[in-house]
Amino acid sequence: MESKNLVRAGVLAFVLVIAFVAGWEFYLRSKGFDTSYYDDGSLWANKREMVYEPANKATVFIGSSRIKFDLDINTWENITGDHAIQLACVGSTPLPILENLANDKNFKGKLVVDVTEGLFFSSAAGNARTPNENIKYYKDQTPAQRGSFHVNHLLESQFVFLDKEWLSLNELLAGLHIRNRPGVYNFPGFPSDFGRVKFNRQEYMTNKMIADTNIQNQVKGIWNSFRQMSKDPPASGAKLDSILTAVKNSVDKIRARGGQVLFVRTPSSGAYLMGEKMGFPREKYWERILAVTGCPGIHFEDYPAIAHFVCPEFSHLSPSDAIVFTKNFINILQEKGWTFPHKQTIALK
Amino acid sequence: MVFNSYTFIVFFLIMLGLHNLPFSWKVKKINLLIASYIFYAAWNPPFILLLWLSTVVDFFVGRALYNQENKHKRKLLLVVSLIGNLGMLCFFKYGGFLLENFTHLVNLLGVNYHPAKPNIILPAGISFYTFTTLCYTIDMYKKRSKPVKSILDFSLFVTFFPHLVAGPIVRPPQLVPQFEMPHTATQKQLMQGLLLISLGLFMKVVLADSMLSDPANTVFGAKGPLNTLDAWMGVLAFSGQIFFDFAGYSTCAIGVASCLGFVLPENFLYPYAAVGFSDFWRRWHITLSAWLRDYLYIPLGGNRKGKFRTYINLMITMLLGGLWHGANWTFVVWGALHGLYLWIEKLIQDFRIRLKPEPELVPKPQVVVQGFMAPRFLKKVQSSNFFLALITFFMINVTWVFFRAPDFTSAWRMLTSMFSHVPNGAVLLTTLTIIKVSVIIVLMVIFHWLMRNTRVLTVANKMPWWLLGLIWSAMLILLILSQESSSTFIYFQF
Repeated sequence: MESKNLVRAGVLAFVLVIAFVAGWEFYLRSKGFDTSYYDDGSLWANKREMVYEPANKATVFIGSSRIKFDLDINTWENITGDHAIQLACVGSTPLPILENLANDKNFKGKLVVDVTEGLFFSSAAGNARTPNENIKYYKDQTPAQRGSFHVNHLLESQFVFLDKEWLSLNELLAGLHIRNRPGVYNFPGFPSDFGRVKFNRQEYMTNKMIADTNIQNQVKGIWNSFRQMSKDPPASGAKLDSILTAVKNSVDKIRARGGQVLFVRTPSSGAYLMGEKMGFPREKYWERILAVTGCPGIHFEDYPAIAHFVCPEFSHLSPSDAIVFTKNFINILQEKGWTFPHKQTIALK
Repeated sequence: MVFNSYTFIVFFLIMLGLHNLPFSWKVKKINLLIASYIFYAAWNPPFILLLWLSTVVDFFVGRALYNQENKHKRKLLLVVSLIGNLGMLCFFKYGGFLLENFTHLVNLLGVNYHPAKPNIILPAGISFYTFTTLCYTIDMYKKRSKPVKSILDFSLFVTFFPHLVAGPIVRPPQLVPQFEMPHTATQKQLMQGLLLISLGLFMKVVLADSMLSDPANTVFGAKGPLNTLDAWMGVLAFSGQIFFDFAGYSTCAIGVASCLGFVLPENFLYPYAAVGFSDFWRRWHITLSAWLRDYLYIPLGGNRKGKFRTYINLMITMLLGGLWHGANWTFVVWGALHGLYLWIEKLIQDFRIRLKPEPELVPKPQVVVQGFMAPRFLKKVQSSNFFLALITFFMINVTWVFFRAPDFTSAWRMLTSMFSHVPNGAVLLTTLTIIKVSVIIVLMVIFHWLMRNTRVLTVANKMPWWLLGLIWSAMLILLILSQESSSTFIYFQF
């Protein structure tokens, strides 16, 4: 082939690719999709690098998905003037991250630990996998990976179709819903409208999720299937003691360096909350964390301002409730003695 | 830096721009050299020192080897180079392995010795650039070619970023002359390069990472016995993954070099269409098998010292070839299996020759340029030999079990699951995954067979431009949709 023909082929390929990308992007936007960031090790590592900001200017959050949905970072940063560094991982125990921060002698800041009992007191390896992978990525990250992260950030902020979580080739093929052969375990797939991720790692439910009870019920069904799959009883006895000892050791290390640690039990509701109360009685789990570590804690049921929320799918707050929760959470934190030197005065609703 | 990353795209565009600016050839070479160091340092900056050390030592030792007339001094210089290169490789790649085996041995002898596990990071591509520099000093010792005149050209030969971390393993005569004269890509080279980069990324990102890595990882990561279908699907998935991953890298490397006006040697020629195992090794990782042939098998005596020694030399070569891939006994067994296959093939060949001496009728396939000795009867490859190719592919898949399995227990469990009915074997792969693996592997084998005597650029050249444009755009669209970026290439760890 003459080079002229190769150039023609290349130009045709280029035009077709541009046309496809533009068409696909336009179609997705018309369907209500919004930009979302892939919450992988690189995004986590980017936030992990920020924990060394001075304690009077930043607060680090660790935990599971609830704090990612329930803490509205814009609200937090506008009111407190503090940078919120979100390190929580979906479906995971925060303990590996707590330990990682505790062993980092340079971390001396403020730390809020979100407690979702079913994950916090779990010793199942699967619940620690994402935090451990993220920590490993943070430690092993190469300069080239950092570079790629920044280019990727630029692109993800502009294009809806760059949503690996829901719109990658594999996810699109999974959408064919081909019936599985007998005996294969199929991890329950969340509806794509459940959540989107911001660059600050905050998650939020889509308008469709808030409006459509059918989607909410799908998610409730997934929580129920998780409950049925969980064969191990909640940790107790020596197992529970060892978890609490590990938490205490980590907390002590941070506090010994001048850091502050506070635990928070974020809201859940309905059948999920009922199940949590039965499986993890407050006095046996939540109260023991506070007693063993000597840290302050905020349990949503103790404060009327944050006790009334109804979670659309039993476990996470809607974006509007997240704003209300965050404002009141800041207020309660101040009552507990936390100070925000850069705080602005905004009237609470 | 990996080819399938945004960092590389930015880096490459800058390099392409710089290389086409009206600088002197020397300035362009300096740009390429600095870029190659940045390419390497973007992975782990301190290891660039090793690269410098290897370059400087081999440049001066190579020149001294060529000019030195005293036999003893020449041998001493060669030993210095071998110790320098292989010593570095042994320390970083085999240090932990050697210590572990030594510990096992002394423990067996009753000595209570338990050293701390060394925490050695393997520098990316050390096996590749060590072989690149080694062949230079050996060539200088044997006076096969003249020493490289300038350290700039030599440094660029060792470090040229397209081949630096995972080959193709280049020889000085293949690359150094290209640095001696100004090279910028013609329009045809540039477009061919871009086509090859698109194809390489499609193979790596879409096929290896997006479609095949998960089933392979799931099956090889299983802790218990597997359902036979799952075991086979896992092995087939890995068989495809390792090919698309490594051949994808080589295709990108050749494409990147072509965009800059340079030519790198072919590294893969549709290996799953191989008829027999010597044919396989002329098609799989060609530059490594050629290296092993020229710098190990032939110096050992090759087939010049009788049949028994030929068999022994063949096995030694394959065992060391296996060990080159990784510091684990499973790689040695992988090499041994290939050695065994080559033995059997050679036995059949010898037997057939004894029965009926064969006249030299069949011309060599044009594209097959390197590799081990090929049995003559296998050179008479006709389309009816597709069945033989399938048998070869089947046997190759068995060897991949040892290549991929982390230990012998897993390998044995996998083989048991593949070749016997395992009651209650785990059913892991979804129907969709099985369809994906089956479709890709079947198409891959057919494609290899159809392409076995040609090359992708030859086929592309014969295609109507609009058809090529459609195929090209389909690859790019799937690449964009797959959204798998920045995962490392399997061969980086070797």
